[in-house]
Amino acid sequence: MLIGESWLVSLLNSPSPYSEVLGLFAYAVFVGLLVIVVDYFLGWLERKIVAKAQLRHGPTMVGKFGLLQNLADFTKLLAKASYLPKRADRLLFTLALPFMLALAIFLILLLPLVPSFGFGNFASSLVLVFALFSFTPLFIFIAGASSGNKFAEIGSQRSVLMLLSYELPMIFVIASLGILAKSLNLFAIVQAQSKMWYIFFLPIGFFVFFISMLAELERSPFDLREADSELIAGWLTDVSAPSYTLALFLDYTKTFFGSLLMAMLFFGGWLGPVLPGLAWLLVKALIIAFFIMLVRATAVRMRIDRVLRLGWYVLLPLAVVNLIIAFIV
Amino acid sequence: MKVEKEALLKTAEEMKNKGFSYLVKITAVDNISSLVVLYFLRNLNTGEEETLEVELSPVDASVPSIMHIYKAADWYERELKEMFGIEITGRSAPRLLLEKWNGIEPPLRKNFEWGKPYKAMD
Amino acid sequence: MGQALQGDGLTTKINVGPIHPSTHGVLRLVVELDGDEIVNVEPHIGFLHRGVEKLMETRNYMQDLPYVEKLDYVAPEAYSEAYISAVESALGVEVKERAQYLRVVLLELQRIASHLLWLGTFLNDLGHFFTVFMWAFADRDKILRLLQEHAGARMFYVNMRLGGLNRDVPPGFEEEVLSVLGDIEKRIPMYESYLEKNEIFMERTKGIGAISSHRAIELGVTGPVLRASGVNFDIRSSKSYYVYDKLNFKPQVVSSGDVFARYKVRMLEMKESIRLVREAIRHMPPGDAVGMPIRLIIPAPKNKEVRVYRETPRGELLIYMVAGQQGPYRVSFRSPSFINLAALPEIAKGAHYADLFAILGSLDLVIPDVDR
Repeated sequence: MLIGESWLVSLLNSPSPYSEVLGLFAYAVFVGLLVIVVDYFLGWLERKIVAKAQLRHGPTMVGKFGLLQNLADFTKLLAKASYLPKRADRLLFTLALPFMLALAIFLILLLPLVPSFGFGNFASSLVLVFALFSFTPLFIFIAGASSGNKFAEIGSQRSVLMLLSYELPMIFVIASLGILAKSLNLFAIVQAQSKMWYIFFLPIGFFVFFISMLAELERSPFDLREADSELIAGWLTDVSAPSYTLALFLDYTKTFFGSLLMAMLFFGGWLGPVLPGLAWLLVKALIIAFFIMLVRATAVRMRIDRVLRLGWYVLLPLAVVNLIIAFIV
Repeated sequence: MKVEKEALLKTAEEMKNKGFSYLVKITAVDNISSLVVLYFLRNLNTGEEETLEVELSPVDASVPSIMHIYKAADWYERELKEMFGIEITGRSAPRLLLEKWNGIEPPLRKNFEWGKPYKAMD
Repeated sequence: MGQALQGDGLTTKINVGPIHPSTHGVLRLVVELDGDEIVNVEPHIGFLHRGVEKLMETRNYMQDLPYVEKLDYVAPEAYSEAYISAVESALGVEVKERAQYLRVVLLELQRIASHLLWLGTFLNDLGHFFTVFMWAFADRDKILRLLQEHAGARMFYVNMRLGGLNRDVPPGFEEEVLSVLGDIEKRIPMYESYLEKNEIFMERTKGIGAISSHRAIELGVTGPVLRASGVNFDIRSSKSYYVYDKLNFKPQVVSSGDVFARYKVRMLEMKESIRLVREAIRHMPPGDAVGMPIRLIIPAPKNKEVRVYRETPRGELLIYMVAGQQGPYRVSFRSPSFINLAALPEIAKGAHYADLFAILGSLDLVIPDVDR
């Protein structure tokens, strides 16, 4: 990583204008590869963690420690037939998932992964990230409404309702972070934690943000989409196997994004001694992802109306309290 | 206790008022010359049991519905209609439990022909 | 507790199809929804109908025994024991005393195993991701291993014979049973504390699908569902059979009648079963427990009409049998799952859609029992 960093930096510092574009491009490719590798690793990690919680081993046979298991599963999924229901809108339905994936990877691209360089190094990058993040419910709605299936429509409506409700507490929390850091630039927020991580200033904020992020990621205990007994698979009901690969990948990409965000906003991002910044960031993000997955192994699903109550009546007031604390501090 | 078909409703009401409020099962036996419908009732407070036996002729068998007295009779009566072909009068036609049968003799009767081909409804 | 649901009167029908990802069996529910409120549930059954009652009329008594076991794949011991009791009543055969104790041991072990399976699948229905399922199945596996030591099979045992069992227990069986019971006894409080301190579990089960005791009797429900509504009725104490009265059996009753109460009744029943098995093993007399070997030609029945009432893990089973010469003339099963399912539309009316699965799980249905 260190070599890559300095290579990028030296590339950018060289006089020719093309090198800047090349540097940005190289960074984007690097982030893309990082996302793929980490997503794959998160998939393996989830299966292992859930399995250990259930007193079993998880994948062990395919590859050392079962690392190649997900590769085998994805290959199997890709080999299946792809079909669309008759009443589905072909264009919208086929495009919804790739757009969501592109959005998720773009969001990761905007995040400050390394100290010296990044796309998100401008004044209101935090706001931009969240504005783009709010596009997710739109795509979910499109995917559900265009699939020509009653289950998918109802499922997407429920998901959208939940996602929209839980965005508000998150926005309040990031406003409070901006107040603490006196800037909305993501890089500045991470840099401002060099004396003390923000989790110690705003523990309530982290609590609200963690739970809201679980809801935004549609993960347990808010995984209405995966309620097998209820609406089959929510807005994903009609995606056939190859596109389902995309959906799973999207799931892990969003989890990666969520963990990265929490690591940056509350735990100091790339700050840390000895190791290069990116390594620290990944370690912190993986620890947060570990807890996200542990919640999945142990939580019971909540009913939709309780989910909405939690978002509006509990988390939002807590987020407001958090904002007040941020003013005081 | 043997009950005539006409006295069934009155007897069932009397039983309910006496405390036999729990209907255990309604079933039937096909003795070839007659069809006997059995109502198993129980008094949960004392543990007593009572059985009402109604004897019907195998041709055009029908019993009045006791669903308004015992709510649990609903599905049992559906089963009677399905399996024995006993008509249940006094209620909306029960939906068959096993649907999409067509043209079969009621299976639990003794005159059921094994192996006779049938055409299922589509 | 949710607030009152306000729909606009326009309903939509959703099909919870016969193929479920969750382990209920083939049951089709047509749910009429008004927004999130259930207006009506229509169960469509019959996907697993095999005509058992008719088939049994064509076979001999002992040939029919495997048919009865297949009616409930979760607790087959209970059904096979009930059927053998019916044949024993018809023929006038007495059960040997040691066999009586041994049958109680096997039946109660089966009850614990059945409730453990119920616990795992109930939590799956609520959305928990298989964790409690795996733990409960690990415990159930210990019991299945015990039953396998006696019967030779883990699932469909066919170890009941007229007047006793197919063989006596192998040496060391009692110690193994006691040790397995000790393990399970330590785990049950773990399940209880894990679930009852989990606020999401409590809000998904408390107050959901509540029926009063009067309504429960009216609907004719049975078993733990009935006892969860405060009705103190259990066949093992009212029409006591084998040695339950000697072992001081007490029915477990909870009065709130909601999904949580049904869960609690089954946990209490598991504890009571553990106690019963320990008592039965302590008091088991030495002697012979082997019944008549299987012969297809058996002496003609003494009693024409036989009724056997048994308390299976799901509820009350009544076998009404008209005995024929070599095989039953008519067998009628009053299956507990049938009537519990019939009560589902009444219990689920007005609930949220997601509560339907909590209620369905709490009724503990096995569909082969419903369809026969």
